[in-house]
Amino acid sequence: MIEYAYLVALIPFAASLIMLFAAKEDPHSPAPWIGIVAMAVCLGLSLSILSAVASGSVDLPVEKNWDWFSFAASVDGKPFFHGMKVGTLIDGPAALLMVVVTLVSLMVQIYSIAYMHGDKRFKRYFAFVSFFTASMLGLVISSNLLVAFMSWELMGLASYLLIGFWFEKDGPCEAQKKAFMTTKLGDSGLYLALLFIFAKVGSFQLSQIKQFYAMGYMPAGAAVVIAIGLLFGAMGKSAQAPLFVWLPDAMEGPTPGSALIHAATMVAAGIFLVARTFFVFQAAPVVMDAAAWIGCATAFLAASMALVSYDIKRVLAFSTISQLGFMMCALGVGGYTAGLFHLTTHAFFKALLFLAAGSVIHSVHTNDMRLMGGLSRKMPVTFVTMFLATCAIAGVPYLSGAYSKDMILANVWTRNPAMFWIMLTTACMTAFYMFRLVFLTFTGADRDHEKHHHAHESPFLMTGPLVLLAFLSLVSGYVLSRNGLIHALLPKPALSAVTATPSTSHAEHAAAAPAAAHPEHQAAAAAPSHEIASASRHHGESHDGHLPGWLHYLLMAAIAGSILLSYMFYKGPDYALALAFKSNLSPLFTLLDRRWFFDDAFDALVKFCDRVAALAFWIDSNVVDRIFVDGWGLLMRIVSEISNVLDALLVDRTVDRFGGVTVGSGVLLRSLVEDGQIQEYLLYVAIAFSLAATLILIY
Amino acid sequence: MTLAHYMGVAAALFLIGIFGALTRRNIIGILMSIELMFNAANINLAAFNRFLHPVGVTGQTLALFVITVAAAEIVVGLALLLAIYRGTNTVYAEDYNLLKG
Repeated sequence: MIEYAYLVALIPFAASLIMLFAAKEDPHSPAPWIGIVAMAVCLGLSLSILSAVASGSVDLPVEKNWDWFSFAASVDGKPFFHGMKVGTLIDGPAALLMVVVTLVSLMVQIYSIAYMHGDKRFKRYFAFVSFFTASMLGLVISSNLLVAFMSWELMGLASYLLIGFWFEKDGPCEAQKKAFMTTKLGDSGLYLALLFIFAKVGSFQLSQIKQFYAMGYMPAGAAVVIAIGLLFGAMGKSAQAPLFVWLPDAMEGPTPGSALIHAATMVAAGIFLVARTFFVFQAAPVVMDAAAWIGCATAFLAASMALVSYDIKRVLAFSTISQLGFMMCALGVGGYTAGLFHLTTHAFFKALLFLAAGSVIHSVHTNDMRLMGGLSRKMPVTFVTMFLATCAIAGVPYLSGAYSKDMILANVWTRNPAMFWIMLTTACMTAFYMFRLVFLTFTGADRDHEKHHHAHESPFLMTGPLVLLAFLSLVSGYVLSRNGLIHALLPKPALSAVTATPSTSHAEHAAAAPAAAHPEHQAAAAAPSHEIASASRHHGESHDGHLPGWLHYLLMAAIAGSILLSYMFYKGPDYALALAFKSNLSPLFTLLDRRWFFDDAFDALVKFCDRVAALAFWIDSNVVDRIFVDGWGLLMRIVSEISNVLDALLVDRTVDRFGGVTVGSGVLLRSLVEDGQIQEYLLYVAIAFSLAATLILIY
Repeated sequence: MTLAHYMGVAAALFLIGIFGALTRRNIIGILMSIELMFNAANINLAAFNRFLHPVGVTGQTLALFVITVAAAEIVVGLALLLAIYRGTNTVYAEDYNLLKG
């Protein structure tokens, strides 16, 4: 089955083309079911591939290539003939991501049938979603970085289309442009990194690039440049500081589309790319550290912004940015498994959160949480599922988020305790703002009676996916970490040599840690033999996934405290305590509400660039054009005028004079010589002949 | 009798012809002078053949051709003269200015 992995990307792509071009536009079109059936088929395929990978019945990674095109190229001045290949490279992360992406996309599409019902561009929405998913899957399975980059850009296009789906309104138009430009800024770095890789390695094949790195051929400087480029691309796509400004605005799109962007496709791509090219980062420890700090800063900043937002979707958007920061930070400190694990669990509960928020918005027709409240009685299914997802993201023990977040924090702790405390604070903030969202939306009394009165539970097509995703949010962490499955599935690449310098005392603490203990050795046994050494060494040293015991309890206590604090702040219908806090600390609130002035900074940057451009234009039109272009023109005109006069006076006159002389002499000769006397003619001939003969005789 | 003798006779004959052609007023006389020049050329042809290449008779043959062509030419020339004479009623060449440009 695994050799048919390419179908997973091609089927949704075909489905989107059919929906886009073959189906008729109609608010009640049955066309979306094409996409849903296609995605269900892909989910089946992905599941069978994942089960094959997880059971260890295949040697990973499975690579299958086809010839694409060929051309002559040169690397470091040595010419060679390059055969470009296109193909699939399936390893643990790819197999897991395939399942996550297809599953979330399927849930989103089923949900959207009800959510987008009656929209005048009904089937086009589904075509975009399928296209988006197909692009993401192309990135996930591709064995070729060039194809991955193409998928990456197609995803940028798809996000542009989805964010600006309601393009009649100004907000989505601005948001889609902002998203596109910001991610393109990151893509430029990725593009340069790809060019650099090809110039050095002479191939876009991931396996060959990896081998090149493993042999140690890559010079250190080039490795750093490439890693920076890749990281920059990932920062744009995965909304890391300071390129995260597009993501909150991307909320202008349809809510299920946001769920797709935030859970399965767009933002996961950056993290996945970093994980896919992890060996590049391992060769550049400086960039790894930068990634960790960027992730840490992103997580903290975004969480702080979420504390004060009243827009239910924006809170979720900030929370996505914050969780992406967690993942980036995990990858940066070398927690490869932890980062991807969190990507997986996050996909489930974040998709659920967005779909539940969509359900609420669908019901009360507003994004503003101040106008909600008391909805738990009206929308019980939405409330329960969203509450579970909130517990998961907040890190309540034994739910999925707790496992992955613990693992990340453990990695950060072993690497950099200072960073750990920031991340711990961020985790508490996460718990606070997520429960704030739930309290404001669902509990207490209704604040807007009109809206509350009309509120209703969503239809089964919407609640069904919610329930399934809630189930996954509950169990995915446990299932994946049981028996060390996640370590077998997502083994840290063996290239390391740069990672982890922990002390043994940490390892002893790790043994005492309660969460998801032990089974590295089983995982190592399940892994292919060449990875055993690295895996056991790795686990033996950095005890991936276990916090020291006291820290673990501290974390749980802090999270519980945050939830309690959130309850105290936002319990009643009027959340007076929070408002009092706000009025006393208004500068801080303004700072957070304005998103740490990042948008203003970008605005100022754009304005500054505008100014510079205007100045440059002024210089160009008034100095360069005036002096150089116009001046040269004038000079040329003067020279050519002089040349013209000289030509007319000297050259032309001379020519005329020659003509005149010739004509005049002709006339003169005619009147003198040609008088019709034949004997005179003969005489001239005789004289001329005699002269000629005389001359010949003389010389 | 050397080649020079023959060439001297031919040159004298040619100069007489030239002189006649340039000075005679009567167009008939001019035509006769031209015949003299033809014959000077014929003497040269025969003489060169005789002294420089005695085996063949190419020069003599060419002289015979010249005589034939001269006869034909004089026929045409006299016919033209007759036509001009009928138009102008004179035989003096200075009165013939039909070719004046």
